[in-house]
Amino acid sequence: MSRRALVDKAGQALVVALAVLGALPVVLVIVDIYAKGIPAIARIGLVEFLTGLPPTPLDEAGGIGPALVGTLVMAVMGAAMGIAVGFPLGVYLGAYRHERLAAVSQSFINVLVEYPTIAVGLFVYAAMSLALPAVNPVLRALLGVEVSQFSGLAGATALAIVMVPYVAIFTASAYASVGRELWEAAHAITGDEAKALFVVLRKAAWRAILASFLIGTAKIMGETAPLLFTALGNDYYYASPHEYVTGPVGAVPLLIYYMAQTNYEVQNEVAYGAAAVLITLVLAVFVLARAASRR
Amino acid sequence: MSLRVKGLTVSFGGTRVLDGVDLEVPRNAVFAVMGPSGSGKSTLLRVFNRLIEIYPDVRVEGEVYLDGADIFELDLQNLRVRVQMVFQLPNPIPNLSIYENVALGLKLNRLARSRRELEERVRRALERAQLWDEVRDRLGSPASKLSGGQQQRLVLARALAFEPEVLLMDEPTANLDPVNTAKIEELMVELKRELTIVLVTHYPPQAARVSDYVAFMYRGRIVEVGRAGEIFTRPRNELTERYVTGKI
Ligand SMILES: Nc1ncnc2c1ncn2[C@@H]1O[C@H](COP(=O)(O)OP(=O)(O)OP(=O)(O)O)[C@@H](O)[C@H]1O
Ligand SMILES: [Mg+2]
Repeated sequence: MSRRALVDKAGQALVVALAVLGALPVVLVIVDIYAKGIPAIARIGLVEFLTGLPPTPLDEAGGIGPALVGTLVMAVMGAAMGIAVGFPLGVYLGAYRHERLAAVSQSFINVLVEYPTIAVGLFVYAAMSLALPAVNPVLRALLGVEVSQFSGLAGATALAIVMVPYVAIFTASAYASVGRELWEAAHAITGDEAKALFVVLRKAAWRAILASFLIGTAKIMGETAPLLFTALGNDYYYASPHEYVTGPVGAVPLLIYYMAQTNYEVQNEVAYGAAAVLITLVLAVFVLARAASRR
Repeated sequence: MSLRVKGLTVSFGGTRVLDGVDLEVPRNAVFAVMGPSGSGKSTLLRVFNRLIEIYPDVRVEGEVYLDGADIFELDLQNLRVRVQMVFQLPNPIPNLSIYENVALGLKLNRLARSRRELEERVRRALERAQLWDEVRDRLGSPASKLSGGQQQRLVLARALAFEPEVLLMDEPTANLDPVNTAKIEELMVELKRELTIVLVTHYPPQAARVSDYVAFMYRGRIVEVGRAGEIFTRPRNELTERYVTGKI
């Protein structure tokens, strides 16, 4: 082998080694969680685990029921709000990327992605304390309900804020990668720019857009920090569904955060089981996103 | 006149691409626009449906009338219904079905009052584009499964479904084989009974076969315009002559 080929081979080996090294921690974490989480769920029983209340230190077993409901409720609400804002924003950024204002907004959004999510939680906490005194009397008069300082609504709002830049960035890149031919076709069949962008090109780029929604949803399902000062956490089920919106709610990441820190084995066990459930949920959404963008 | 152009100037970020174009396109004719690459043919075509306005930093000056009405005063939706376009590369929405590709424009512009009328118009458009027989059994399958020639007839059907007054065709056969090219050329001759066609072509024999009028462009200006027969047999301009005889 020539010296050059040798250097080439060595370089390739190094790249592969680095890639393995980079992926290793992620793989190890997943393996560790499943290795401890699956036996925990097996001991408690899947149904009991998914529906039961979290254990007190004195219990022999417990589950993640209320937290799972909270996560699903807030993920759905948060995703709906995040998409409602992030998608049109992304369309704007993608369609007007040649214009100055859009370019400035794009760099702003790029910063937002990196914004510490705990600060988003604090922001929503502050916003809630300011807004609720004004909003609650109206809500009470109209619907007979009030939103408390810590609530599913606050949690979902914080998650939505975390999600917006993800959806916006992925949507913008989906629109930016639509070829000139399709772009012209969309505008040739309608003189209404909103329809060209939000109907024709949305259909044309639908897979990439759907993938961005799913990746954003997977991202917020695993978030803990934005929920600390907003959803707060809750170990119990509510009697009526609207309380998941108006009152403090649990979430799987919050439950893991609390239960993993205690010295009680049964709680640590449930934390691992919860982590396994959460990872499965997130991975499932990622796989869906992959499938959506592939075909 | 179907289209009347007066002093049309188009620039992209300060560079003039069309420079004082005057033109009259009669109704029910095939009007061919020829000229070397970069002379502004596609740009001219994209002024007629104001598609040019989707590009950044574009500036359009001058007057264009469609059937006597100033196109810059017309409602853009209305203009794009009346002036349809077929492009050089077939551009159906790939993941939409054959049916949806034709129906979408009608839906967006509320051109069909009922589902039946919509289906009827889609079918008629596919028939007029001579695609119906090939796709009638698979209207629901994705447009991307069609061959290039079929895709080009599909986007022609999409345009015809609007029942436009003017059909803009920008080198519609540049990427087609001789069989599909002949089909499109036949269609043009047939279609001009109902509408006006403005055809950009690089290929003088095609213009000679299908067009009634020819305009020859060079560097953003119309150098010569007239009846097809005259331009091909007695070009007055030296550039035109060199182009039609294949020297540039
Ligand atoms: N969107 C645009 N932005 C900037 N410049 C453009 C744009 N579109 C066209 N041009 C420029 O305008 C000039 C004319 O382009 P146009 O596409 O109209 O030429 P054409 O005659 O259709 O050429 P061809 O035969 O190669 O298709 C070219 O110099 C081109 O670079
Ligand atoms: Mg061109």
